[in-house]
Parts: sequence; C-alpha cells; structure tokens
Amino acid sequence: MNREKYSRQILFREIGESGQERLLRSRAIIIGCGALGAAQAEMLARAGVGFLRLVDRDFVEESNLQRQIMFEERDAAERLPKAIACARRIARINADVQTEPVVADVNYKNIERLITDVDVVLDGTDNFETRYLINDACVKHGKPWIYGAAVGSYGLTMTIRPGVTPCLRCVFEKIPPPASSPTCDTAGIILPVILTVASIQVTEALKLLTGSIEKLHGGVIQVDVWETSFHRVSLQKVRERADCPACRHRRFEFLEASLRQSALTLCGRNAVHISGLGDVSLDLREIAERLKPLGEVTLKEFLLVFRVNGYELTLFPDGHCIIKGTEDMALARSLYARYIGI
Amino acid sequence: MSVTVRIPQPLRRFTENRDVIELSAGTVGELLEQLERQYPGITERLREPDGQLRRFVNIYVDGEDIRFLSGLATEVRDGTEVSIIPAIAGGSESVLRC
Ligand SMILES: [Zn+2]
Repeated sequence: MNREKYSRQILFREIGESGQERLLRSRAIIIGCGALGAAQAEMLARAGVGFLRLVDRDFVEESNLQRQIMFEERDAAERLPKAIACARRIARINADVQTEPVVADVNYKNIERLITDVDVVLDGTDNFETRYLINDACVKHGKPWIYGAAVGSYGLTMTIRPGVTPCLRCVFEKIPPPASSPTCDTAGIILPVILTVASIQVTEALKLLTGSIEKLHGGVIQVDVWETSFHRVSLQKVRERADCPACRHRRFEFLEASLRQSALTLCGRNAVHISGLGDVSLDLREIAERLKPLGEVTLKEFLLVFRVNGYELTLFPDGHCIIKGTEDMALARSLYARYIGI
Repeated sequence: MSVTVRIPQPLRRFTENRDVIELSAGTVGELLEQLERQYPGITERLREPDGQLRRFVNIYVDGEDIRFLSGLATEVRDGTEVSIIPAIAGGSESVLRC
C-alpha cells in the first residue's frame, strides 16, 4: 500500500491503516454515472476503493457539465458514454483503482450478475424503475445499497441493509407515477445538493466498507442546501411493521418482470428512453450501413447517432436507445421499430 | 402552541416557499384539510382521488410513519412535528415526480 497517498485518510482514526487496507480490497458498483454517480465515483476513487464497476446507459451532453463533475467539454463534444468517461477520469485520478465501465441499461436480466460480486451498491440513477430493481436484487442477495436522489436544492438519502434496516419498498410502497404524468415537473438542480447527497452516500459506503456499522445514520435524511436544513427521520420501527413483499415475503416482483421492452419519457428533455433487450450485443456498424440511405448517420466508438425527420436516435450496443424530438412514447416505439427494428 | 408541519422543497411552490407551517388540528387528516384550505392544490400531490395517502408519499408524526399509526386518523397535538417525505426520482435529469 502507498501510505503516503492515503496518509491524511489513515490519520483519520475511524479509518486508520487497517480501514485503508480494507478499502483497497473493497469492491463497489455505481449504478448511474450522472450527477450523483459521478460525484460518488470521484470520491470513492480518491478514497482508494480498489474496484469500481461503473454502469450507465447515457452519453455526456453539454447540459450535464454544470453538475456532473467527472465530465469535461470534450466528453460532451465526443458524446462519450458516461461510464467510459468516468473510467478514463478515474484512471487519471488514482491508478490503484481498477474500473469496469459497463455501457448498458440495467434490467432484470443483468442486475443480479452486476451486484453479486461487490461489497456495496451505490444508487446514482434518476428513476424508480431501476431503483426498485436494485432493491429487489440487493434484498435477495443481502447486499447493502445506498439510495440517493436530488432535485432543485433538495435531496433524500437512505442506507439499506437487507435483513437489518427497512428496504426501499418498506418505506415507499409504490412506484411513483411515470414521468409523463401531469405531476411531473422539471425543477432544475444545483450542484451543491448533488455533492451533499453524494457525500452522505459515500460516507455511508466508507463506514460499511471499513466496518463502522454502528455509525450508519439509520434513517432517511432530507437535506435542503438552499434552506440550509438537514433533517433525519429514524426508520427504526418501519421494518417490523411494513408488510413488505421483498423483505417479508421474499417476492421479487421487479426481478420477475417478464421481458418487455419499456419506454420511458425523459421529463423535461423532449426525449424518450427505450430500454435494452438484456444480453444482446448489436453490430452498430452493420446498422449504420443499413440506415445511411435513410438519414444522417454518425457512428462512434460506443454508440450510433441517427437523425431523421427532426428526430435523433442514439442507439447503444445492448439495444437501448434515446430518442430525441418527442415525448410521445408510442411514437418513439414506432420510430424504434421502423429504424432499429429489433 | 400548534403543530409544526415541515414542507419538503418539491411542495413549496404551493406554500409561497415556506418550509415550516404552524397549524392547529386534531388529526393528520384535519391537518391536510387545513393545509389545502390555506394552500389550494397542495394535497392533490399527497392524496389519491379517493382521499387515501399516495403510497409514494410518507408522513411522519414525531418520526413515526403514520401508515403504522392510525393513518390519516393519527392524532396530533400541540408541539407535534409532522414531516412530509415524497419519494423523489431526481438524479441527473432533475425529474420530480410527486
Ligand atoms: Zn422491505
């Protein structure tokens, strides 16, 4: 171990030399490398967590740079997938850290494989569909995971230890309505709340990985950086009282979902996300050749961009696709069927 | 003396941006009715059309989830602190669904 590199963290007695050694041997997964995920990745990499699996389905855009601290102008210009951009930056930050970027949509087929060989799961996603899937997989396999979300200047976080604390479904029984519902607003977001929520999540991860279990906050934390308020609600009594399908009945409804390609409107972005197909790997080059006569095609290392009739389709090798220019899910599905056709 | 209701930011556009509201009521249900009278539209975000609390919104009375107390009939008294916690999707797209 390079003691000099981690000397200030080793001086922090709660971690110390043995804690640092544990961190270097630890494995974490970050699901979603957007705002929260990028901040988590940066902190875990600097702390010397030995292995980071970085999963993201999206590419870097200019509007991300205000709050997604791992990315730079040129990543947006190149439309680099976020998972790849994150891994490249971590390689520049700390060579002790081994990374595994995964450019894919998380779904019921791959989630269990992604989480079973890690010590902790960090939530950097922006949607509840994926979070309930993470929750099912983590409860099933007994993996701790750390929920986090932020909007405006407001954030929420909660640490889930299956069998010990309540899980996400114990606390929020039902998935909120889809983003296309009238209750969907885009409230904007500022970076400080992202860093605040990610900092609490990462601190919890460090406690889990170094064995400071008794120091975990044990509740749901609400923070508002604009109001300067920090509020913790204890969840001590929730678990024994909740009639949770996952914890109590070990019924994992999100993992058992039958394969159905789902479409999801990306609120405020004039775009629809079409999910991937699980374990497929498309030949983007071949698809690019086929699409060339129909519109404008740009083939990149990790994705394909196809522009036609004012729509822009960004296709990834696992089949997932972001369709810009509409919020109409049926229209997006038909564009996908017509041009990608898988 | 009265009941303190903490309003999370996603709902503050209904409350003229106030984060703490003092009300007097006997139950959580009455509290929501008062809140609605004062800030029309706010409880539509918290309750289903049939009046039940939405299942992705939690209300805590002195730190206890009302689902495990008496729901909307849960009693509140002077000095009680009520927190409303909606599930938020958030993340990179700054999407609010509540
Ligand atoms: Zn549960």
